[in-house]
Amino acid sequence: MSDMVKLFVNGVEVEVEAGKNLIDAVGAVGIEIPHLCYHPALGADGNCRMCLVGIEDGRPPLVPACKTPAQEGMKVLLDAEHIKKIQRDVMELELINHPIDCPVCDQAGECSLQDYYMDYDQRESRMTVAQVNKNKKMDFGCGVVHDQERCVLCGRCVRFCREITKTGELGIINRTDESRVNIFPGRPLENRYAVNVVDLCPVGAMTSSDFRFQQRVWFLKKSPGICHGCSKGCNITIDHNRQKYEDDIIYRLRPRLNQQVNGYFMCDEGRLSYKQQNENRVTQVLIDKSEASINDAIQSCLAKIENSSSPLILVSPNCSLEQLVAIKALADQIDAPISGYSDGYIKAGDGDDYLIQDDKSANRAGLNLLEIDTTKAKFEERLATADLLINFDNDLSLSYSDTELKEMLSDTVIIALSSQKNYLTDLANILIPLAAYSEYAGSLINCDNILQTFDKALSKNAPLDDAAIVAAKLGGPMKNATDIFCELQKLIPALSNTELQNIPAEGLNLNNSEASNVTA
Amino acid sequence: MSDRSQLISTGKPFAFDQQRDKEFERLAKRYPIRESMILPSLWLVQEQEGWVSQESIAYIADRIGTFASKVYEAATFYTMYHLHPMGKFHICVCRTLSCWLRGKQEIVDYLKDEVGIVPGQVRDDGKYSLEEVECLGHCGTAPVVQINGKFHENMDVEKLKVLLTTLQ
Repeated sequence: MSDMVKLFVNGVEVEVEAGKNLIDAVGAVGIEIPHLCYHPALGADGNCRMCLVGIEDGRPPLVPACKTPAQEGMKVLLDAEHIKKIQRDVMELELINHPIDCPVCDQAGECSLQDYYMDYDQRESRMTVAQVNKNKKMDFGCGVVHDQERCVLCGRCVRFCREITKTGELGIINRTDESRVNIFPGRPLENRYAVNVVDLCPVGAMTSSDFRFQQRVWFLKKSPGICHGCSKGCNITIDHNRQKYEDDIIYRLRPRLNQQVNGYFMCDEGRLSYKQQNENRVTQVLIDKSEASINDAIQSCLAKIENSSSPLILVSPNCSLEQLVAIKALADQIDAPISGYSDGYIKAGDGDDYLIQDDKSANRAGLNLLEIDTTKAKFEERLATADLLINFDNDLSLSYSDTELKEMLSDTVIIALSSQKNYLTDLANILIPLAAYSEYAGSLINCDNILQTFDKALSKNAPLDDAAIVAAKLGGPMKNATDIFCELQKLIPALSNTELQNIPAEGLNLNNSEASNVTA
Repeated sequence: MSDRSQLISTGKPFAFDQQRDKEFERLAKRYPIRESMILPSLWLVQEQEGWVSQESIAYIADRIGTFASKVYEAATFYTMYHLHPMGKFHICVCRTLSCWLRGKQEIVDYLKDEVGIVPGQVRDDGKYSLEEVECLGHCGTAPVVQINGKFHENMDVEKLKVLLTTLQ
């Protein structure tokens, strides 16, 4: 924790972090200073003038809060009449050419301009001249659609592309009231983080072609989650909604701040990975391709396990730690070898030095922690002698071609437990649907050895069991979450004196804790 | 102000000629930050072609090693960069205080009504283009007319008539 200083806001003493700018410092204790262009990840730009405050120490009457560090004894004025006037005037300036199309704007409900109008302006327009017309629905590439008329020219998107992705596709063209954000002709957005400009945009000028006109944001339930798209484990907000007579489905993923993992952003691929949670799901229990009840399927599985002389259990590197513990316990119980072979999840060379990782699985570090073998040689050797394969959601079609799989599994009975349809679920003798990650709670260890937990986000109309529960039903000894957590505490010394709910929201860095020997 | 964001493409790749190439390299040594070359480069383009095309902006950006969006910003911000072809003779009439008081409007009206050159436009035959500009710094000899960079001081309609006949 850095040093604290005491300062006064509207005459009331507050204690804030020293050195931070006033927006962040005062914002941390719940006092809002309105701002459009400032964003903590992009730094202060000072172009919008919305954050002008008074400081009673002989400085000029108005200073931008985004560029003013908090200091001891500072007297900050926010509610004085001349500050309110400045805020109203800036709002009036922003609204001169802003179309009042909130009823059809995707940003409505999470729009800074809308909120600030209600908080600081609330006046009728005095404008009698025609508004400046600019371009609408411009395709900037990468799924970003731009409306120049809604833009307030804060430059966040421009700075994001120049400072964060260093690709600089966007610029502010022209000047005065003709200014507008644009791409250079023929050089559209071309980076893997481009859709972040949609989140950054304080108004509805940047919209995502994927989310555009899909939902009003106030209908969306916002649940925290962890992206399972790669081993980074970016923190996300899962925006989902159950429309009348429909199922609870995800409409978009947005990055959620975690300084230790992903900061404010996420990659576009991860952002669109919600589609796998909505589409192509396994929903029906099948025994030899015919529909059956889950109980029949479990009985049938138990019989197959009973009759098998050498079963093999395969797990997915996306399984949570809890699931891995439960499945490993099941493997020990039925005396089956367990493999986590999943080379197909690794796309060599695909990662970058920012967020995207080569490894497209969420919990490979967890596999290693539980000492589950992941080598190809061992998996193939065991599969050759196995007469039963119990596959917990490992998409083998990523690692093998269909013909290879068919040949390898020709004389093996397959029990597939899967959330997604793939080639293996077609081959399966018994197919049991599993919950996807937004439908259960669990914990993961990311590529930087940070343990993060996530909660169940969606409540489906027909809830599906997650892999840990199915493992218990198949005879695994880990029957409940407490058993599993006790086992995890044994495996991860850093957890030994804590409860699951006490794991910090930012995640537990296993490298920093005394338990750094766990993965050694 | 008008919207200057619509760039015109020539459909042909752009490159500096030998003289501008040399000048570019000479100027580049002046600036510790290479991006400072954006404005001088745009001048070199305009000197060479008379106007700034989409291809030339892309060329400059790549030559300097900066984002095309940054050159695009600068070229559209400064109205003295012409983003479409100008007339063979580009006439600038100063419209700031001294020239205005000393009768620039008569000159502009003459050009508009008698010669058919509308301010901000190129005459259909491409021979002339006219622009009213801010102070050219010749206030003591107002009004001033600048044709293709050359100054003509103490102008009036009669002198202009004679001057135009010399432009071939």
